Parts: sequence; structure tokens; C-alpha cells
Amino acid sequence: MKLKLKITNFLQYILLIVVAIIMIFPILWIASSSLKSLIDISAYPPQLIPKEIHFENYVEAFSRGDIFVYLKNTLILIIGCTTGTLISSSIVAYPLARMNFAGKKIMFGLILATMMVPATATIIPQYIMFSKFRWLNSFLPIIVPAFFAFPYNVFLFRQFYRTIPISIDEAALIDGCNRWDIFIKMIVPLSRPTFITIGVLSSVFWWNELFIPLIYIDSDRLKPLTVGALTTFKNLFIQRWDLQMAMCVVMVLPPMILYLFTQKYLAEGIKTTGMKG
Amino acid sequence: MEHEGLLTKKNKRNVRENITAYAFLSPWIIGFILFSGVPIIASFVLSLTKWDLISAPRFIGLGNFIAMFSAGSDFWNVLKVTLIFTVFSIIATLTWSFFLAMLLNFKLKGIGIFRFFFFVPAVMPSIALAFAFQLLYNKEIGVINYILYLFGINNGPNWLMDNHLVIPSIIFVCLYTYTTGQMMLIFDASLKEVPKELYEACSIDGASYFQKFYYVTLSYISPVILFNLVIATINAFNGSFSIIYPLTFGGPGDASRVISLAIYDSGFKTFRMGYASALATVAFIMVVAIALLQFKLSDKFVYYEN
Repeated sequence: MKLKLKITNFLQYILLIVVAIIMIFPILWIASSSLKSLIDISAYPPQLIPKEIHFENYVEAFSRGDIFVYLKNTLILIIGCTTGTLISSSIVAYPLARMNFAGKKIMFGLILATMMVPATATIIPQYIMFSKFRWLNSFLPIIVPAFFAFPYNVFLFRQFYRTIPISIDEAALIDGCNRWDIFIKMIVPLSRPTFITIGVLSSVFWWNELFIPLIYIDSDRLKPLTVGALTTFKNLFIQRWDLQMAMCVVMVLPPMILYLFTQKYLAEGIKTTGMKG
Repeated sequence: MEHEGLLTKKNKRNVRENITAYAFLSPWIIGFILFSGVPIIASFVLSLTKWDLISAPRFIGLGNFIAMFSAGSDFWNVLKVTLIFTVFSIIATLTWSFFLAMLLNFKLKGIGIFRFFFFVPAVMPSIALAFAFQLLYNKEIGVINYILYLFGINNGPNWLMDNHLVIPSIIFVCLYTYTTGQMMLIFDASLKEVPKELYEACSIDGASYFQKFYYVTLSYISPVILFNLVIATINAFNGSFSIIYPLTFGGPGDASRVISLAIYDSGFKTFRMGYASALATVAFIMVVAIALLQFKLSDKFVYYEN
């Protein structure tokens, strides 16, 4: 019986390890290729461990591309959109979780429904609207909507707020506090982990987002890293795999490190999405 | 008299409470009208026009839809590719994320490390994933064909350049995306919530492993399966762009051109705003139809505790 259990455990570990290798293989391959010369990348058979280490790929990638400019733009988008959505979504979620008012069900239903509307279905009229505002080729069409609450983040805030005992609000109301005071002085401080979770999720999202900035931003000066990377180190005739892979490492490392340090928050936030109620 | 006074007082408080609630909701209500409500309606209206953004829009009735659904239109290919991609990517990502979650529920030491490794590809930008797979799928220098060679298959295919292989190849890449990781974590959490007593009761009744899996695990977590099914569906429409565009640009030819790419091309490459809106309208109707279908099916298969 004990031996059988040991064998089962051993087989389970083998299965886990095989699957883990499959899952991280693309990252391993990016990292390894970023240190190879272009010739070694094309070598047959392919080698996971580079024969010679070519750190100069990184130096060349940074000096030849506009990576620094792209990085700066990505950071502006992350800071703008994350600040915007944290402020607006945390406010909007409050009455949905902690107040009774006419039309609550309808409002919440609408928020859930808008989560399902694909961005591609509304992008054309939005683009036309922002072009009328003369906002094209700027960060405004991307950052300003963040200040009007994203349904997904509202939903997350609501789920977290519901775990705080409702008696806190009731006691404060009897003491003569108004709803805004309760929100600012009690709910926000109690929801610090939630703010961190949604802050991390939003930062990772905007670090990775391609579609929206691709639509609104044309000029190289304003492109974030994802959009810039599309056309860097690659043209019709040649693809500089070595430099492209070095750039990929630059794209992959920050969200990976962030995930490593905030794993608990991130996982908690995602799991909450699936919570009942 | 006194009673009435109390009532009006209570009413007043209710009115104030309602006004406060809507004041809190106002950022989203404004945003909803500006960025979802108006655009969806505008999209329907625009789909009835011909507009290149330079000259004035011209009303052409159902012209765009007639052109779209005419026999020689490239829309039929877009529709076919979109449906195939949507259905199979949903099945693949849902199954794979469930499989990963099952593995994470092994009672073993150090399982947390595996959770980290299983989820880590989810946080990388889809464009980095696309570049990595362009290299891995490469006909001459790619690792995947090398692995095939080790198993005795010479001359592996040109994965992303083959009309028949491109969609399966893209769907495989989808196993590494954020949505799959997200679904895995949700499944993982819900599997841990299945009450142990249920399994024990089944064991006493002499149920086999597969019977337990089917009658206990699957039925207990069926609401979560529905939830993830909806996430996967939305993502098949929404997230597909950021993976397919950098990976194949819809190629070879039009073999991987899903509806989001078609909207992007007609809207922002050739500036046929009316036609692009007509495509967007169809995409919108498709999502709504699929979602309604899923909720209808859920009445039959999903088990709720209460």
C-alpha cells in the first residue's frame, strides 16, 4: 500500500515536471536565443544552451531600436490607466456591494453585460468619436476611458467589498457619517490588498496590450513597446531573430518579476472572479 | 399623523440613498453611454453607410450586408475561419486549463512551484509569445520540426504557412495565453472547494474513479465550467487579435483571418468604415448569440447548490 502510494507520487511528479517544461519552454527558448548569434540561432540541430554567450545582442537591441522611447510610453500608459481605473472602479463598485437602491439589479446586470462586448465591436465608432475630439495619435483615447471605470475591475472591487462586514457601514451611518466618508475612511483602507491586486492586474494588462494602442497611435514617438516591437528588427527581407529575442526578454521579464513578487495578490484576484454571488 | 411623518422621513432617506448610489455610479454610467452604448448604436447606423472618413458618409441601406453576404464575398471565408477558430480554441483552452488545474490538485509537496510555472506564460505579452512561436514553428530552424525529426518524421511542415495547419498551430499557442492561465486558477480554486464527504460517500457506494469524476467533480463545479466557457468565448473574439495579428497577420492568404482582423483591415487599412461597422455588427450578434446559447444550455447541465 505504502509502496503503491510512493509510485503514484513519483508518476505524478514526472507528469507535473513534463507539463511544467512544456509551459515554460517558449520563455526558455526566448532567453536562450537572445544570447545566441544569428548564425547559432539558425544552426541545426537547435541548441537550448548557447554555444557562446552573446550579451552584445542586448546592447545592440537597445542602441539600434527605439526601445527606450517605447518603454517610456508603455510606462505612461500603465500609470495613467491604472490610476484611472483604481479611482473610478473603486468608487463605482461601492453602492453595488454595500447599498440598496432602486435599479441595482439592472445596473449590475448592465455592467456584467458590457464585460462581454468585444472591443472590436465598438472600436470603429470610438475611433471616429476620438478623431472628432482631435485625440488621435495621443494617449488620451487610451487613458481617459480608464477614468470612467472598467466593468471587469468594478466587478472585482464589488466581489471584495462584499467580504467586509456590512455592520461597519450601518454603525457609521447611525453615528452620522455619510456614504462618501464611509467609503474614503473605512472601505478604502480596508481594501488595500484589493487595490494592490487590481493595480497589478491592470499594470500587466497594459504592459501587454496591443490592439487599442495599435488603433490610436501612429507616430513612432508615442508607440508603446508592444506596438513598436511589431516592426522592430524585422522587414520583408530579414528577421533579426537575435535582436528580436533580446527585445522579447525585455518584454517578458518585468511582468514575470512582478508576478513573482505579487503571486498571492494576483492569484487571489483572478480566483475572486470565479466566486459565486 | 405621527405614522405618516415617519413614512415621509423614511421615504426622504430612501430618495437620498438612491441619489447617493447613482452619484457613486456616475463615472461608469457616463463611461457606459460614451464608450459602449453610443458606439454600439452608432455601429449599427454606420453599417448602413459608405464612408472613407474623408468625404461625407453616404447612406446605402443594407448595401454593406448585401455585399458581405453575396456569393463571391470574402466574408464567407472570414465567417468560416472565425467559427472554426472560436469553437476549437474554446474547447482546447478550456480542456487544457482544466487539465492543468487537475494536476495542481495532486496532494504533493511543492505544488506551489508548479502553479507558478503553469501560470507564468500567462503574464507575458502575446506579441513576445507570437515571436517565440514564429521561431519554434520555423520550418528549417524551429525546435518543433527538430522534435518531429527525432521521432523519425523528416521534412516537418511549415506550420504557420500551411493553409490547413495554421489554425491548429494558433490554437496551440492559445494554450499559453492569459485567458488559459486565468481559467486554470479559477478551476484550481473551485476544485479545492468540492466537499471531501461527497467523494467518501461515493467510495462507500463503490463508485469507480471515472464515476466519481463525472458525478461529483464535474457536476459540483459545473457553474464554474459555465463561467469559464463564457470567459473563453469572449476571449476567442477579443483576445484573438493580439495573438493572430503578430503571429500570421491573418495569413497565409486569408487562412487565419478571423473577424477581428477583418474589422481591423477594413476599418484601419482600407478605411471602409461602413463595411467595417457591418462586420462589427455581425461580430456583436455572434457573441450575443453564443452567450445566450450557453446560458440556455446551462439550464440543462449546470447544477446550483441552492
